[in-house]
Amino acid sequence: MRIRERLASIAAVEGVVVALVFVAMIIFFSLSSPYFLGSQNLRNLFVESTFTVLLAAGTSYVLIVGGIDLSIGSVLGVSAGLTLLTMQKTNSLPLAIAVGLASGAAIGLLNGGLIAGMGINPFIVTLATLSIFSGGLNVLTTRAQLTGTPSKSFASLAQGSVFGLPSPVLITAIVVILLELVLVLTPFGRRIYAAGINERAAHMAGVNLRRLRPQVYILSGAIAGLAGILLASKLNSVQPGLGSGYELTAIAAAVIGGVGLAGGQGSVWRSVIGALFLATLSQGMQLLSISSTWFTVVTGISIVAAIAFSRMTQRLAAAVRPAPLPPAPTQPEPSPSDDRTPAAAG
Amino acid sequence: MWEIMSSRSTDAALLVDDQDTGPQGSVVLQARGAGKRYPGVIALDDVSISMRRGEIHALLGENGAGKSTLIGILSGITEPDSGEIVIDGTSTKFSNAAQSQSVGITTIHQEQTLAPDLTVLENIFLGRELRRGSLLGRFLLDERAMRKRVEHLVEEFGLTADDLRRPAGTLGALKQHAAQILKALAFDARVVILDEPTSGLADHERMSLFENMRRLRDRGVAILWVTHRLDELFGLADVITVLRDGHHVATVDPATQTPDSLVRLMVGRRRSAVAESSAEARGNRWSGPEEEILRLESVSRAPLVRDVNLVVKRGEVLGIAGIAGAGRTELARIILGADRADKGQISVNGKQVRIRNPRDAYKLGIAIVPEERKTQAVLGDFSLAKNISISDLSRVTRGRMIIDRSAERKLANVYVRDLEVKTSGIQQKIRNLSGGNQQKIVIARCLFTRPALMIFDEPTQGIDVAAKNEVYRLIYEFVDAGGGAIVISSELPELLRVSDRIVVMREGRVAGEVPAGPDQSEDERSDRAEEIMALAVRSSS
Amino acid sequence: MSFLPNNATVGQRLRAVVTSPNSGVVSVIVLVCIFASIKSSVFISVNNGFNIASQMVFILLLALGMTIVLISGGIDLSVGSVMGLCAGVVAKLMIDGVPMVVAMLLAVAAGAGLGMVNGLIITKLGLPDFVATLAMFGVARGLLYLWTAGTPFLDYMTDTYFIVGGLRRPFGYLTVPIIVALLATLIVAVTLRFTPFGRHLYGVGSNSHGAMLSGVSVPRVRLLAYVCSGLLAGVAGVLLAGQTTAVAPDLGTGYEVYAIAAAIIGGAALSGGRGRAIGAVIGTLTLAVTANAMNIAGVDPTWQQVVTGLILLLSVILDRASTLLRSRVVQIPIQPVAATTAATAR
Repeated sequence: MRIRERLASIAAVEGVVVALVFVAMIIFFSLSSPYFLGSQNLRNLFVESTFTVLLAAGTSYVLIVGGIDLSIGSVLGVSAGLTLLTMQKTNSLPLAIAVGLASGAAIGLLNGGLIAGMGINPFIVTLATLSIFSGGLNVLTTRAQLTGTPSKSFASLAQGSVFGLPSPVLITAIVVILLELVLVLTPFGRRIYAAGINERAAHMAGVNLRRLRPQVYILSGAIAGLAGILLASKLNSVQPGLGSGYELTAIAAAVIGGVGLAGGQGSVWRSVIGALFLATLSQGMQLLSISSTWFTVVTGISIVAAIAFSRMTQRLAAAVRPAPLPPAPTQPEPSPSDDRTPAAAG
Repeated sequence: MWEIMSSRSTDAALLVDDQDTGPQGSVVLQARGAGKRYPGVIALDDVSISMRRGEIHALLGENGAGKSTLIGILSGITEPDSGEIVIDGTSTKFSNAAQSQSVGITTIHQEQTLAPDLTVLENIFLGRELRRGSLLGRFLLDERAMRKRVEHLVEEFGLTADDLRRPAGTLGALKQHAAQILKALAFDARVVILDEPTSGLADHERMSLFENMRRLRDRGVAILWVTHRLDELFGLADVITVLRDGHHVATVDPATQTPDSLVRLMVGRRRSAVAESSAEARGNRWSGPEEEILRLESVSRAPLVRDVNLVVKRGEVLGIAGIAGAGRTELARIILGADRADKGQISVNGKQVRIRNPRDAYKLGIAIVPEERKTQAVLGDFSLAKNISISDLSRVTRGRMIIDRSAERKLANVYVRDLEVKTSGIQQKIRNLSGGNQQKIVIARCLFTRPALMIFDEPTQGIDVAAKNEVYRLIYEFVDAGGGAIVISSELPELLRVSDRIVVMREGRVAGEVPAGPDQSEDERSDRAEEIMALAVRSSS
Repeated sequence: MSFLPNNATVGQRLRAVVTSPNSGVVSVIVLVCIFASIKSSVFISVNNGFNIASQMVFILLLALGMTIVLISGGIDLSVGSVMGLCAGVVAKLMIDGVPMVVAMLLAVAAGAGLGMVNGLIITKLGLPDFVATLAMFGVARGLLYLWTAGTPFLDYMTDTYFIVGGLRRPFGYLTVPIIVALLATLIVAVTLRFTPFGRHLYGVGSNSHGAMLSGVSVPRVRLLAYVCSGLLAGVAGVLLAGQTTAVAPDLGTGYEVYAIAAAIIGGAALSGGRGRAIGAVIGTLTLAVTANAMNIAGVDPTWQQVVTGLILLLSVILDRASTLLRSRVVQIPIQPVAATTAATAR
């Protein structure tokens, strides 16, 4: 009983379990393959992970506000395509970046407007925009030859280094840190949590959901746009289907990191850990020459495992936790209906 | 622990046949030593109750006394930790609602059990559909038999045959309630459990329900009846059981009781002391100018609010009375900007304003303590400090951008101390507080915005008596310092005590106004209460 | 399923038509047909009708399953992958010399089994529907990739299988897939309309707590809904393997979007409690007719995905708009009595 209590209280600390599994995985891979901890491999690992990390960071905003955004993969593709197209046509780097970001933000605005303005289920709205814009990318790629730009500066966006750090990693790190700070320190972030914890209560307490939600979806879209710009720069070409499946990985990363799907729970850094976890897993599997198709299977299973595990620790922790505070001297409200036991409402 | 018994033949038990054994008065259903704990709370402790054929057994107790838990155990939705259920002398155990139903227990829950997308007829038989007789037909529904079974009951409860075919969600509140009752009456159960069946019913509907209860009793059904209205009991209940704080207090014969003696049983010794302390709670009234804070002119929002005019001044508490569905909460939502008015004008501090959302309302100095604390007010995962500051984060930000957490904590502490919230600290999550203390935090959230007008919608819902008095104290302190308050409450005694005047709403309109106040005598209050009830329920034409 | 008293005025009837769930969709179909027939005389012909029908079959089967799940208040994102995997099961078993009928039954059973896994994860582990089936989406797809090792299963077709797949037509235009789809529609329609299980599906989706209190075993109903969906996906997989004559690892990709779109267009609500078998037919018809019309009108097929997304978006917008309209017109009490009775009780 003692040990169980200890374990439960340790596991209940947010993020501990993921971190442990993460470390165990790194040890496992580094023992199995001498190349795993090599600097070239780590460099590749970080560069490869930037796209997932960015999308997962944006996804954590959406999940915390209580929504979901399935369109980010297609946003990534479309903005990559448009960025490259602008680059080819104008050879202006700032313009290309602006187009990439703006197209992502615009799709986010469309999502957010329909979700918050009309009250349509975010899942369906973003499923529809996913379909529309991944189709849009197909159309775009048939109309234009999206391969290669002469610009060096564009290529250096994702392929260069600053102070020995790969520049996409640096950009991603800056963006992620900014996102985390905004979420934790500003009124905007505070309201996002409030809306996710209890939408109606937040509304009654004066949180303007009609403005807040579109803002979050715009942000998510713009970040996906940024990831698209970086990916276009890295690949220097855009194929149909680019970005498809990223939404699954991003959501998986967030969920594995411990961001709740019900809203109000989690943070950017936790999604980032989840994303790095998945990236390491994928990289490690490649090193062990395990077929990359296993990755989908493993991703799917780890989503279920992560959620099931967090449920389990919560239940365990709830069973172990002492009577709720405070030891009120007056009658504590004896109604069991308040929080824990919806079945006994009365 | 629970003993498992062999399952009874279920179909036979569903219908009371003439050959069903036992004379009137024999025990059908018993709970013995039933107990249930939730983390930190003992909801029910060693409670025993017996129900007999042809007997209406009333179950009384305050909120949280354990009535809902007991009903949950008997109807199979709550699994007890200890004790047993005995049916016809055999010990049994329910692990779901269907098992309880299969031995002939039917429960009308207080919660909404109707599925809005199903028709009324479909709802009545949900979970117990009648099937066709033939071999293959066992997989098919027998619509005609179902319709026939309830046809004769329908009109007694103010429904029409057409209503049976309508989705339950398109019916008004009263008809939905009637449908819930039909759900129980359509089956000739051996035991019927009614959890506050009359709340929200009009007088003639209550009469009709009582009539049916008597009819069921005469047929030998045992009825367990939970009610809060003591006046209903006399003449109908055959025996009364009182619970308090999860314990069985007494099982008595109504003939030996008065409403007062029942209240004493329900609340124990606590009430008298509390009642006295509250009478003197209000000290120095606001002596400044009695300016208008809020004025509504013919505010409407179809169909629930129609042409409402009212005024709230500094230093006064305006009570709003009315039955469920009278449009009180809807009016509050319009004032707060949560819903928009179709027409009419709202003025705040003498200036005409447009309130498009709650954010606007808070900026204008209007704050609300919403009804249904858990779903509409409490941000469960937030700490107390975050719950308090959410409505006006500008008070704790630096340069309008960054939240200054130490300032936030300091400021929140002031409110927690002033409001005497019992907590281990402001970093505690609000979900771990008791209901009364949660409510104080919600009030603190409103006060934090430094409002001129506060709306209290059912402010003492589900909190204990001591906490109620503290809520009243906070309301008084607020208005005595020059604020204005609107209090919406379904508890008339509360409204009469706390308000300076009471506006009565009926069917979305203001039906009249009644003076009130803590200075009124008991007699005056009961007169006022009758006046209000008359205004609130006068039959519509 | 709108209700009108017998003495309704013309205006009321008109409004009922406008606000009824399928009206927007039916008008879309009509418009598309008119447009297409003006553009091309090919459109209205038996042959083309047959083409539309064959395109519909697989989506229809999935949409029927999706409708059942949506009615119960869930969602099944795994249907496309499950269909692909089941097609793989038939093909592989037949290559290995298992008799055709046995192979088909096993494939259908595999579909039902995967559906049951979905249902168990959701009801026993308590995972959100969306997450559990998203994981299954990844797992089933990954398994097919692994199994096929990236190259399609070929050479499993037999003479009878050509008939099953609808490539040979012994009964004129009435191919086996069409017959199966018609039968499935009929069975689902009868189940939803006339059986206790169907009734319980609506009850659970409309108010699961109330259904539980009424004695309905909510977990069992939800579990069965997913089994039905998996089973229908299995059937669709068997037929699809017969029609494509090769099972590629990505067979069935994107079909979940079609299935959801068809079900939603047909009036099923994401919030549960609403939907009909005939709605699935109408929804599927809308998608198929549009695709076909585009085909005939000479629209680049790359646009098709965009249009599917647009139709999905349009149908949810119309649905939402009509709900908003209705809620003000018919005066539905938005909050059911629970709230108000609880208030007066105190």
